Amino acid sequence: MTLSLVAALGLMAACALYLAALTARAGAGLVDGGADLPGWAAMFAGAGVMVAGVGLADHLALVARFGLQAAHPAMGLVLAAMAGLIVQKRLWIAARLAGLASPGEALGRYYGSVTLRIAMLTLAILFALPWSAHLLSGTAQAVEAATGGAVARAPAVWVLAFFLFLPAVIGGWRATVLFLAMQAVLLAMLIVALAALAEGTLATPGFLDAGIPVAEGILRDMIPGVIQNSAGIGKQTAQGGIFSAMAIISTALVFTGVALSPGMLYLAQTTAAGRSKGFGAVWLVAGLGGGLMLVLLPFLAARLPFLPEALGAVEPLAAVGFTFLLVTAGQLAAGFFTTSGTLIVTREVILPFIVPGLSPRGQRLAARIALALAYAALATLAAFAPRFSAVFGGLALPFAVQLLPALIGLCFIRWISRAAVIAGLVFGLLLVTFTEPLGLILFEGLFLDLPWGRWPLTIHSAAWGLAFNLGVVLLASVFTARGAGRAHRDRLHDEFAARWALPESRPNARTALWSLTLIWAFFAMGPGAILGNSFFSRPVFTEAETALGLPSLWVWQILFWLIGCALVWWLAHRAHLGQTSSDPLRRIDFRDPAQVPGPARAPDWIAAGLARVTQRAR
Amino acid sequence: MSGVPQSDRIQRLDRHALVMAVWLPAAFLATAVFHHGFGPGGAWWVAGGFGVLLAGFGAHVIVNAVLGTDFSAREVALALFAFALATLAIIFSVLLTPGFAARFFWPAALGMMALAGAAILYMVIRNGPRAAFARFDIIRDNNPRRASRLPHRGGRA
Repeated sequence: MTLSLVAALGLMAACALYLAALTARAGAGLVDGGADLPGWAAMFAGAGVMVAGVGLADHLALVARFGLQAAHPAMGLVLAAMAGLIVQKRLWIAARLAGLASPGEALGRYYGSVTLRIAMLTLAILFALPWSAHLLSGTAQAVEAATGGAVARAPAVWVLAFFLFLPAVIGGWRATVLFLAMQAVLLAMLIVALAALAEGTLATPGFLDAGIPVAEGILRDMIPGVIQNSAGIGKQTAQGGIFSAMAIISTALVFTGVALSPGMLYLAQTTAAGRSKGFGAVWLVAGLGGGLMLVLLPFLAARLPFLPEALGAVEPLAAVGFTFLLVTAGQLAAGFFTTSGTLIVTREVILPFIVPGLSPRGQRLAARIALALAYAALATLAAFAPRFSAVFGGLALPFAVQLLPALIGLCFIRWISRAAVIAGLVFGLLLVTFTEPLGLILFEGLFLDLPWGRWPLTIHSAAWGLAFNLGVVLLASVFTARGAGRAHRDRLHDEFAARWALPESRPNARTALWSLTLIWAFFAMGPGAILGNSFFSRPVFTEAETALGLPSLWVWQILFWLIGCALVWWLAHRAHLGQTSSDPLRRIDFRDPAQVPGPARAPDWIAAGLARVTQRAR
Repeated sequence: MSGVPQSDRIQRLDRHALVMAVWLPAAFLATAVFHHGFGPGGAWWVAGGFGVLLAGFGAHVIVNAVLGTDFSAREVALALFAFALATLAIIFSVLLTPGFAARFFWPAALGMMALAGAAILYMVIRNGPRAAFARFDIIRDNNPRRASRLPHRGGRA
């Protein structure tokens, strides 16, 4: 087992190294991959990150513990595909029209706000370090468990981080995305093969025969109510499980957090023109990703505690495959978030402000040093501070969801103002912080006990934050819509309207699309999903019980996943949100009028600090 | 390499990565299935392993069709090398391992023939029977008279 696993991981590392060396020889840009990443790689890497970005091992453990109610939030992949389509095409166009080359620069220059730039950078760092460290730590723990302690957790962290670092530092962004795309295909294959092998060869009863074994008191194939009057995790135990319908829809938002994370936005901005966004959203994120998580993961979760041993008894390489699956998922997400976050920070802070005016060679060196420091920090956090990483990293995804109003403003709604976005963001981030462990631990440690715990009323922190965020944005926009900065924002929207307007020919179809989407969300994962508990086993308006042989909730999930895929297809292809064109774009001068013209230069305090260090070194 | 334009180099890199993305999972899965098949699994698992390889070949052909490319010389060389190695391994196993021939000769031989057949079918469909045969017809290359290149005599450009 240990030798086979090490050989498999070594083979992946060799592939990464080979690909990185080829990329370096081809001469693609280190920081942005030449801003024309191949569509297929962006599609597969993006879909893989969507599945792995929320923590596949954690998701699997939750499904094994709570049953189908915990699998239901994976419907959020459909929601994430929709959110990605809505935001990413316009962001891509903005990047080409106005030279807004990174997500922080796009928001910062559109709203004329340094605060938003800093918020985006902070978010990128949260994803790159604590969240990635949390994922990497879990991955190393899986390696330690699989090898029976022969490979300890801390050395595993360093080795795994080193082999993620290599493609990034040698080949840069392009090599990273190409390698991640390869890992994503491998991930999909492993999930399908392992589920098929487990069902086909193991003699013990599986998901279809015996369901997912859960502790007493937990509803394994039912949603425990629309909402529960629970003070939250850590304060009160929810009856029947924590995944009420409101918990499901609010947890599904977390997948949207992956789609709106700085790394995913950067990936969208640096992809070549074409139909890849639409194809990836429909067939890979919503279709394949949703299918894997909703249809196949329950098969693995049903046998989870003994799955590696049982598979190993049938075929030793299958047990290796299971650990390899967890490692691939962890590496995929950690590598993506760390590399993208570091390159965003390099692009937005290091190159323009800390060491401005570098030659292309100097810029590459600066990016490589930044990557080395970031991966060293990642491995240190994952190896020595896993609890710190879990507490801080837990904020990354719900924080990313709070960017939604700002991004919607940039892409579609011109009356959303800077003041409204910042006010909403502040409220959203506060609400998230105080419904997640970090805020609770700090506040209760410093002051007094709060009456609520994590995710009060079984509503995820992302939804608490977004509800307040949206409310404040709408309220503040009423007063600030026509304030300073409107003319500046109008320039981008006028260009969108002139050349990139959504199809107007069938406005009724657009109304139908949004109405159907809301209805779908209500039944697929909102309060209406409660009907799925018994809809196919005890149909409404009848007294009869049908002998379906499958859990009613599982059939409901599959049905609404398929309907959701159709809606994503409509959004991508009929509403033209899934394709970008390589036709030449008319560049617009989108500098903030208040900004001082001229080349970027380091702020005096940074320049003075650097000079002190460099002069001392001489 | 330095004489090739950068855009071509990057296109080649992207295609190469896509081909690797196809073959890496296929090879991993095929290894596991063959391992089980040549162990306790039996003939059907061996056939399954060849099925995975054929699926990988099919996906590679789709990549070629979508990108408008053909198998590169290195890919062909690697495939021929792997095929020859596998053939030798099977022959030696038949000769040296007691009981191997009785259990695995037919699935292994049919699998190898299926792989070769798939490659030949691909060449015939892509190039036509004459051009597919011409790729192996090295005897004609020994007679490079000008007339042999005339199209109506089946000459090559």
